[in-house]
Amino acid sequence: MSIVAKSWDDDDTLLAALKQAVHARRDVPPEFVEAGKSAFAWHNIDAELAQLTYDSSRDSELATSVRAESASIRALTFSSAHLTIELEVTPDSLVGQVIPAQSAVVTVQPRSGAETVVPADEIGLFSIRPIPPGPFRMYCRTDAGVDVLTGWITL
Amino acid sequence: MRDDPSVIALVARVSDGDQDAWDELIERYSPLVWSICARYQLSRQDVADVGQNVWLLLVEQIGKLREPAALPGWLATTTKRECLRVLRAVRRHEHAGLPPEDQMPPDPAATTIEQEIITAERNAALRAAFAELPRTCHELLSMLMSDPPPAYVDVSATLGMPVGSIGPMRARCLDRLRHSQHLVAVLGNQAEDIEVREPRGEHRG
Repeated sequence: MSIVAKSWDDDDTLLAALKQAVHARRDVPPEFVEAGKSAFAWHNIDAELAQLTYDSSRDSELATSVRAESASIRALTFSSAHLTIELEVTPDSLVGQVIPAQSAVVTVQPRSGAETVVPADEIGLFSIRPIPPGPFRMYCRTDAGVDVLTGWITL
Repeated sequence: MRDDPSVIALVARVSDGDQDAWDELIERYSPLVWSICARYQLSRQDVADVGQNVWLLLVEQIGKLREPAALPGWLATTTKRECLRVLRAVRRHEHAGLPPEDQMPPDPAATTIEQEIITAERNAALRAAFAELPRTCHELLSMLMSDPPPAYVDVSATLGMPVGSIGPMRARCLDRLRHSQHLVAVLGNQAEDIEVREPRGEHRG
């Protein structure tokens, strides 16, 4: 460390360090930075984050996916401290359930484009149709006032 | 580490809901998050998802950070955790017979994450200092940093500066950079790091 710090007294070393710093920033794709900036839209929303805890396309045993083959239905689970959201991908829609079962409002937010709002019934069932074409996330507000936001989902 | 005053101010503004301050924070720290993701060789989509989750967690947690100086460490740890989560899922998919997590070999990135933070902070300080240089210095140094380095006659022609002035000007600009408040803060941090680390000796070699 002391060697690095001292060597900045040398012009060539300092210029090389600056070059490295500028390149480190340039290596980051603009969309990565933009996604970070737009995340701030959530600063005044008191939502819990629901992490992807299960994805059948990744987590299922090899045997299952071979057996399932054509009839396979992809299933995803998002969990936060107070709420779990399960999602199944059918050919033309997404079918989900809020657990514990309760009515809620689910907002589907595509990374680009307009949001759609779908209701979840008293046992927490909801469906999203058509399937969002690009990355999206779900924002779920239960009638009891629990707010949960999922990470980005790409199907 | 000593707090960089500019980061303390940024965090305070972010806590008040200032989007510009948040943008600045993202500009400053996205290379740190990105560089840690790069260690895990994730797909581009996985890196994007890790980034999203890290930023959302930051939005959620930033008001609770007691020490702004802890921010780089928090970001590094959170990014690493998110990367490992994705990586484990991918590995489970590819190798069903992988041993349980506690029997997996130690994470090769673990020992160097601290170094990653120090490098990222140093780079951020250099960029901040560079951004505050006068326009002439900014143009000159930018040109001199290009690959391959240009001949002084080309620099002279582009910037309308006599060839004989380039050398002295380069020296003056670098000296301004060296004495920027941003760099003084980082060099102070490094001096403190040495005192803490050298007796243990395990970070060397």
